Amino acid sequence: MITQLLINSLVAGSIYALIALAMNLIYKASEIPNFAQGEMSMFSTYITFLLLTTFGYPFSIALTGTLLFAFLLGFIFEFLFIRRAKEPNLLGFIIITLGFQLVLFGLAGWKFGSDQRTFSLPFSETEILIRTESFVLTEHNLASIIIAIFVMAGLYILLNHTKLGLAMRASQQNVKAAKFNGIPTDRILGISFGISSVVGAIAGILVAPVATLDPTMMWDPLIKGFAAAVLGSLESLPGAVIGGLLLGLVENLFGYYVSLEFKSIVAFGIIMLVLFVRPSGLFQKHYIRKV
Amino acid sequence: MKLKKEYFEDVKFFRNRASAFWAMVLILTLVSFPFLFKTYYLSILNLMALNVIVALGLNILVGNTGQISLGHAGFVAIGAYTTAFLLQVGIPFVFTLILAGLITALVGAFLGIPSLRLEGPYLAIVTLGFGLAVMVIIGRMDVFGGRMGMSIPRIKLGWTGLKYDEALYYVFLLITIFMIFFAQNILKSRIGRAFSAIRDSDIAASVIGINLSYYKTLSFAISAFFAGIAGCLWALYLQFLTPGAFTLMMSVLSLATVVLGGLGSVTGSVLGAVVMTFLNLQLDKIVDLPVIGDLISGFSNAFMNPSGIANIKWVLTGLILIAVILFEPLGINGLWIRVKRYWRLWPF
Amino acid sequence: MTFLKVKNISKSFGGVKAVQDLSFEVHKGEIYSIIGPNGAGKSTVFNCINGLYKTDSGDIYMDEQKLTNFRPEQVAAAGIARTFQNLELFSHMSTLDNLLLGRHLKMKASIFQIAALNFRKSQAAREEVEHRRKCEEIIDFLELEAYRNLPVLSLPYGVQKLVELGRALALEPKLLLLDEPAAGLNNEERQDMIFWIKDIRDELGISLVVIEHNIQLVKDISDRLLAINFGQKITEGTVDEVLDHEEVITAYLGEPETDQKMR
Ligand SMILES: Nc1ncnc2c1ncn2[C@@H]1O[C@H](COP(=O)(O)OP(=O)(O)OP(=O)(O)O)[C@@H](O)[C@H]1O
Ligand SMILES: [Mg+2]
Repeated sequence: MITQLLINSLVAGSIYALIALAMNLIYKASEIPNFAQGEMSMFSTYITFLLLTTFGYPFSIALTGTLLFAFLLGFIFEFLFIRRAKEPNLLGFIIITLGFQLVLFGLAGWKFGSDQRTFSLPFSETEILIRTESFVLTEHNLASIIIAIFVMAGLYILLNHTKLGLAMRASQQNVKAAKFNGIPTDRILGISFGISSVVGAIAGILVAPVATLDPTMMWDPLIKGFAAAVLGSLESLPGAVIGGLLLGLVENLFGYYVSLEFKSIVAFGIIMLVLFVRPSGLFQKHYIRKV
Repeated sequence: MKLKKEYFEDVKFFRNRASAFWAMVLILTLVSFPFLFKTYYLSILNLMALNVIVALGLNILVGNTGQISLGHAGFVAIGAYTTAFLLQVGIPFVFTLILAGLITALVGAFLGIPSLRLEGPYLAIVTLGFGLAVMVIIGRMDVFGGRMGMSIPRIKLGWTGLKYDEALYYVFLLITIFMIFFAQNILKSRIGRAFSAIRDSDIAASVIGINLSYYKTLSFAISAFFAGIAGCLWALYLQFLTPGAFTLMMSVLSLATVVLGGLGSVTGSVLGAVVMTFLNLQLDKIVDLPVIGDLISGFSNAFMNPSGIANIKWVLTGLILIAVILFEPLGINGLWIRVKRYWRLWPF
Repeated sequence: MTFLKVKNISKSFGGVKAVQDLSFEVHKGEIYSIIGPNGAGKSTVFNCINGLYKTDSGDIYMDEQKLTNFRPEQVAAAGIARTFQNLELFSHMSTLDNLLLGRHLKMKASIFQIAALNFRKSQAAREEVEHRRKCEEIIDFLELEAYRNLPVLSLPYGVQKLVELGRALALEPKLLLLDEPAAGLNNEERQDMIFWIKDIRDELGISLVVIEHNIQLVKDISDRLLAINFGQKITEGTVDEVLDHEEVITAYLGEPETDQKMR
């Protein structure tokens, strides 16, 4: 049983980690918590659905199309709205992301109807790969874990071993200095939003078969992803991954040993607990403003 | 050379006779409303009243204290369910109302505790989680009918000699007017100033003697108190409660209301709530408008799913929200101040 | 007579030892100045006295009362007010509101009394009126009449500095800490500031501790002087003693810009 729990934790944790990563990519670049992120993933997932089911493209094309769409969605969001904020402050930015969330939510409901649709991927959540005495492993389980690892590795390489990654990290650390050194910081921010949106879209595609596709499908995963991000600190990418895995584990253990009913609010409990002990997450030092 | 000054001048609710006059006109209109219009409109006004009260409280927290809450639906729900429970047990309405406010305030104070240590985004996340958690917990509690919901008994208004709907309307009106005065007085007092001080510079605030923990908690409690009162009225308004009535969207829309109306001002909260409620009811009828309506339904038929057209209200609300931040960060109140300057002393 | 007593305080940030084992005493009715090059730890001393930073070790006393580990609002209640090096105003609020906030501790109306603020005779309204009167006195004292109802973010820098000073005075403190009161002021404004600082001591009887880079101002106002560098005391004494001290001169020679102000 414990093996099964670990598998479930790992799967859930991988997905949370992806959402948390998407969150942190933007937060690190702009200090904006992107509340539109859930809806952005949801909308991108609908695009996969559209390409796959309505247009009947093979999965590879549908996936490529989706990721392209997701990138543009993030980039355009930054370009059209975030960049144009008049008196940028945290509340203003949060409102903009919430506004965008409403727009996408409405568009999805308008275009796709608010009824739930089913969704089939090459890796099914019912096909069982391995079945033993103590656990079962489905295709979807394995795919989630592998894809998450791929995305993480990809991000690592992108940020640490490419010119773009260098520019991204430079503008995260000091926008003025980066600009001074000829880095187009605005465009870099747009690209960060794009990449974040792609990571979010992948998470959405992985969530959809389990949660069924409808405009509210990301509400719950989003808060979990957020919890994961907070757990590991909004400023740290490895923190996001560890936070995600930790949350998956705690949630599943809680669900099994304590109460299945209240499993879904464990995330909230964890956020409260962590923030109470360490107000900036587990992997970040609290900062005192200098006066 | 010292000019003699009337210090009470700044403290008064109405700065001059013109504004007092217009407020009287407005109140008289509202009082005579049931005799002029159909009951359907009363229910719209009731809805506006509810939203005004939520907005007043949320604005004190967000606009004045500079904290963020994405979980206000949770507070409203607590007020509503407290009311449902107390009314069913047979507690008189007046006590129920006050208790709904106070119990919600208590929960608000508890949620305020993490806010003592948390900065913006982290607080936003905690409150978001709170709003969702409240609904999960209420949905699992048998006293509250779980997912099935529970019905709210009517309150005793027979003694007024009015029809129930009309009497209820006056109850809403009275409570709303009181809450508006209350909010305004809070903001004009030392407490309101302390809130705004925390928003502008928490360091300076603590150095002049403001206890940050106490006032942040108080701000949460007051904000929740307003939401609790509104929740009580929600229960009466809906007559039947299900956990599904208090979603994340409700929290987001409350925040939208405050931003649209104007952060940090009572007038803003009132205007925002009135406009937002109106938009919410009217936006899905947008297809009935002459030219724009045809365009939209044409677009909808060609590219979208015509049956989902009600969702256009979310799209437009979202766009309005973004537009406010991009073009008029002070919201409707910003516009209103300009208009008011122009009309200041009319008709005196 | 000793009034403020700072005893062996230390404070470090990670590896940076901002203040090391520093002690000094301020007497009642005195204007005491602290000088030192940039990053010497002057502001940190204020922040420690204030309770904004928790000291790593050492103690702070005022009037025999131990202030160590007090929170900022407790320090304020003990009678210490301050201004900041880079203005910490309530910038969206009016000058009057900023001053009224200085009266916060002296006002007592509770949330329940406030509900009756509309009534002229209510406790809350009478209190409000009384404290407004007090603030008007400060507005007169600092000649801020013209800016009374304007949001402070729209005021010129020099005026903002005065508003901050006024807010500190509104607390009716026993001790006032001024962090670089003349920084960013032009010559004329600086002369006015010197005048006000003296007035605050002479007319209001408030003791002051002043951090300042401008040597002319320091010479003009100070009764005694403390020079620090790298968080440690170099020397302490009368203005002439300290400014002629060899180590003080070398400490400042490292910094050409301040050096010019010295001589
Ligand atoms: N909140 C903080 N976090 C980290 N380091 C700090 C903090 N406050 C002060 N320091 C460090 O402590 C040292 C002393 O700083 P402080 O501000 O006290 O200097 P100062 O004498 O006031 O200098 P200036 O003349 O520039 O105002 C500096 O090295 C500074 O970087
Ligand atoms: Mg300094």
